[in-house]
Amino acid sequence: MSGVKSRADLEKLRRAILSGRDFAKPCISVCAGTGCLALGCKKVIAALRDEVQKQGLEGRVEVKETGCPGFCEKGTVVVVYPQGICYLKVTPDDAAEVVSQTVNAGKAIDHLLYTDPVSGQKAIHEHEIPFYQKQMRFLLGNNSRIDPKNIDDYIALGGYDALAKALFQMSPEGVIEEVRRSGLRGRGGGGFPAARKWQTVRDAKDGPKYVVVNCDEGDPGAFMDRALMEGNPHSVLEGLAIAAYALGAHEGFIYVRAEYPLAVENAAVAIQQAENYGLLGDNILGSGFGFRVKIQRGAGAFVSGESSALMTAIEGRVGEPRPKYVHTSERGVWGRPTCLNNVETLANVPIIINRGADWYAEIGTEGSKGTKIFSLVGKVNNTGLVEVPMGISLRDIVFGIGGGIPGGKEFKAVQTGGPSGGCIPERLLDSGVDFDELGSLGSMMGSGGMIVMDEDTCMVDTARYFLDFLADESCGKCTPCREGIRQMLSILNGICEGRGKDGDIELLQELSVAIRETSLCALGATAPNPVLTTIQYFRDEYEAHIRDRRCPAHVCRELISYYIDPARCQACLICLKNCPAEAISGGKDRIHVIDQSRCTRCGNCLDLCPTRFAAVRKMSGQPVPPSLPEEDRLLVRSEE
Amino acid sequence: MNEVVLEIDGKEVRAVEGMTILEAARSAAIDIPSLCYHRALTPYGGCRLCTVEICNEGRSRMVTSCVYPVAEGLVVKTRSDAVVRDRKMLIELMLAQAPGARVIQDLAAEYGVSETRFEVEDPENLCILCGLCARVCEERVGASAINFVGRGVKRRVETPFQLTSDVDFDVCLACGSCASVCPTGAIKLEDITAKKPVPLSSEFEMGLGTRAPVYIPFPQAVPKVAALDRNRCLHFATGQCAICQEFCEPGAIDFSQEDEIVELEVGAVIVASGFDLFDVSGLTEYGYGKIENVITAMEFERLTAASGPTMGELRRPSDGRVPGNVAFIQCVGSRDINNKAYCSAVCCMHATKEAILASEHHPGTKSTIFYMDMRAVGKRYQEYVERAKTEYDVTYIRGRPGEVAMDRETGNPIVWYTDTATGETKMCETELVVLCQALSPSNGVAELADLLDIRLDADGFVSTPEKPFRPVDTTRHGIFACGCAHGPRDIPDSVIQASAAAARAAEVLTDS
Repeated sequence: MSGVKSRADLEKLRRAILSGRDFAKPCISVCAGTGCLALGCKKVIAALRDEVQKQGLEGRVEVKETGCPGFCEKGTVVVVYPQGICYLKVTPDDAAEVVSQTVNAGKAIDHLLYTDPVSGQKAIHEHEIPFYQKQMRFLLGNNSRIDPKNIDDYIALGGYDALAKALFQMSPEGVIEEVRRSGLRGRGGGGFPAARKWQTVRDAKDGPKYVVVNCDEGDPGAFMDRALMEGNPHSVLEGLAIAAYALGAHEGFIYVRAEYPLAVENAAVAIQQAENYGLLGDNILGSGFGFRVKIQRGAGAFVSGESSALMTAIEGRVGEPRPKYVHTSERGVWGRPTCLNNVETLANVPIIINRGADWYAEIGTEGSKGTKIFSLVGKVNNTGLVEVPMGISLRDIVFGIGGGIPGGKEFKAVQTGGPSGGCIPERLLDSGVDFDELGSLGSMMGSGGMIVMDEDTCMVDTARYFLDFLADESCGKCTPCREGIRQMLSILNGICEGRGKDGDIELLQELSVAIRETSLCALGATAPNPVLTTIQYFRDEYEAHIRDRRCPAHVCRELISYYIDPARCQACLICLKNCPAEAISGGKDRIHVIDQSRCTRCGNCLDLCPTRFAAVRKMSGQPVPPSLPEEDRLLVRSEE
Repeated sequence: MNEVVLEIDGKEVRAVEGMTILEAARSAAIDIPSLCYHRALTPYGGCRLCTVEICNEGRSRMVTSCVYPVAEGLVVKTRSDAVVRDRKMLIELMLAQAPGARVIQDLAAEYGVSETRFEVEDPENLCILCGLCARVCEERVGASAINFVGRGVKRRVETPFQLTSDVDFDVCLACGSCASVCPTGAIKLEDITAKKPVPLSSEFEMGLGTRAPVYIPFPQAVPKVAALDRNRCLHFATGQCAICQEFCEPGAIDFSQEDEIVELEVGAVIVASGFDLFDVSGLTEYGYGKIENVITAMEFERLTAASGPTMGELRRPSDGRVPGNVAFIQCVGSRDINNKAYCSAVCCMHATKEAILASEHHPGTKSTIFYMDMRAVGKRYQEYVERAKTEYDVTYIRGRPGEVAMDRETGNPIVWYTDTATGETKMCETELVVLCQALSPSNGVAELADLLDIRLDADGFVSTPEKPFRPVDTTRHGIFACGCAHGPRDIPDSVIQASAAAARAAEVLTDS
């Protein structure tokens, strides 16, 4: 492929690609993101390719491996073009039908379509599915149309046009101004105005300057950046190149966590292909501007996602945060001015350049513009990635898009912002997702992780979970974070294990102040958030654990007991035979009784007891009723 | 460097651009506590105790003063309510981390933290993970023998792969820098290396004490200037450290300094090369080197010196106890045809002085001096000896001991001697034996004599043959000798001779 040496060349290339494509030609797009890979999409793809060949359609039907379209609950997701028919939960066995019925005969396959759980209504196209209807998918929308390993797909959709526009029609200052007017704020968690950071780096007198993409996405349950980097790496590259042009950098790094091997691979392929086309390298599009990108892999530390720790890691040293009184935008990697942006932040840049800051600023709220991708996970029906305009209410996301809580359970809380964020209760669900509004609730937007919790979630245990995570992931350098988290965890473990005492809550709050104010980096400073928000909104659960030795959600092992209701037990022997502690006594026609002294609270019996009997239940805060005397344990069945 | 004026606790402080708040505060004698800060190491910002509140344009925030740069007009509060509150919590956390660390207990007392409400995981732990040991080893020693391993609550200081004994792997120099910077005493060298640290013996302390590679030889040194031992200095070994040079305010340290050959045209030379001590370990009958409690007189001097290794306490080597009795043996090496035939002139008097000193430092300590002849020649010297006998209970026994044995259980030396007054051979069990060793010609005086083309006498001292009329003239015109260079003599005589030699030199110079 000869290099594309001017803007006109790029336009020619795009037209050449487009003219080489037949939009009437059927294309079966299969999601090949990590989520669907885990569900076995490779087998689906192989089966489809097999079928295409078997049915003599080789060369006339394309099977494309694409990025993640976000509906992870219903993977493997397949979209058949040109009709745009969306199939969910596709298995290899469905391949034959998909090819013969849909591709060949143009008919939709009922059992693969989305079915509304209440009305039973089917939806054929993506935009008819309720999960997608309230979304605004500017960033993720193209994923089903792009094979991340083929740059032509991206160019065909208008890719790299924004870079060309920036290089030839705008000055670097003009680019920054456009981003400033758009109101773009960092999507990694800090929410810092992107243009302000770019300006600082641009104004820095020292050189050379660097741009860095933070793809270290470490929040548990967050996978937005993964979907972008795996599914549409060029969108990030283009944004990165525009940023580099704006602030005068000629070298960039993409820092990808090692736990995202597919993202690493696709980013590397993307860089190579972009270089082949002259879209990266010494003289991009003949503009005279040169920019090269390297990939740096993470090594398994959450703290390396902190900007100064990440830069230290790029330098080849242990990823530990540095004091940031001298900003990294003035002294970053190797002491040079460095601009670090999140993947999603940069993916927004080409869109802003292409459609203009005014258009972008129309979306969202006063203080938070544009869209945000959230990873909606936990106790919710429709798990996956949702891209919504800023300002949409949490209720709309959890219930409107997420489809509410499975199993008819009660919503309890939604956790945003990962280990730095907080839990928001039901009464505040109408709050909009906005940097400042979430902050005022005691939580934060964070990188976009959104965990839904129901009545079976213990909020004290949730706080403990995040502290446990941070105790491991803290770099350990500063006393308030390392020792503070250690001690908060110790107190929470005590509370969850029935050793809580009066004053524990107050001690946690007191300790939190010092941790917040004296920690070296944001990991420590925000570590108390989950504890503080759960105390603020769910104090009653803490008090139950401490005063009554009771876990209202029946989660904390040391505080719960399993009990077999003698009125419901039908002596089926299932729980007895499967108890790993051999704690259940009984027999055929003899009521089963759990020996509390041997029970390890593994929950097997509850899971296995047939639903029509539902004889096992959890109890907390009170002793188990005394067991029936031996002679009364004989089961007398009524003749039915 | 630009001057920067800031305000700390309401006080105007003048600092220099590039300084941190902590450095500026300390230069103005304002105390900000810190545990992980060291002047000679890059600031770390780990313990967070040095947190202060800064106010800028109406907004205040908490920063660590050890890394925050000073700025013109900065307003700093080192003990605001918020700062004290946070500091107390940090101390409480550290008390749980290392309850036995003295420095933290002191901080707790200072800030009124009476107890810790937190769980103490390891009551024996002393390490607060301040990183000083790792940083000094990396930045100054250049060995990086220890560093942090593990993350979060599992962080700790370790050697690579936790190995201490594999010699090939062992980059540790056993220099002890880590232990010396550790604020809590948590570092034990044996946990880091199997190598034994080799203390640098102080020549002046006769090997009884140690010195540093940069040292002032002794308190009365002239000139009183530090010397750098090239063989033991880390900078010469690894290229690192150089802390002394960095902190020397007048900039007096120059590692590149080499010996200079200076050519001087002179009219006269005075040889004042002094003496060296006779090595008594060759006299095996006295057991020096084998019996611990047999020491030389010079070692005795160091033990009783207030600036010496024991601060003036006469503690015997084997068990550190103060001896109840001491035996001095005169003429060790002197007046001995097998060694030095001459009399060393000063030993009788210094033994008497030492016996009196022992009694003054430790009343009740009795001394016995085994002598051949008491050479108390000089103004009031004999009276001094008589005082020793009457006022300080010093016993003088005329007789040259033949052997010093040892009681294995107590370590007490046993002196075998013939009392020439009575003719009996006796033994005297004592707790400490002091050998008054001979004075020898200075090492290297033979080469010097060769260079100067002057003769030595039969005993190896510089020959001054024209006694008594030219007592300081050597065998070569214009070259003079004074002091012990030409024979043992005491301080007053040496001083007189120094004047004499100077006068002689002046004579010669005015002649020419």
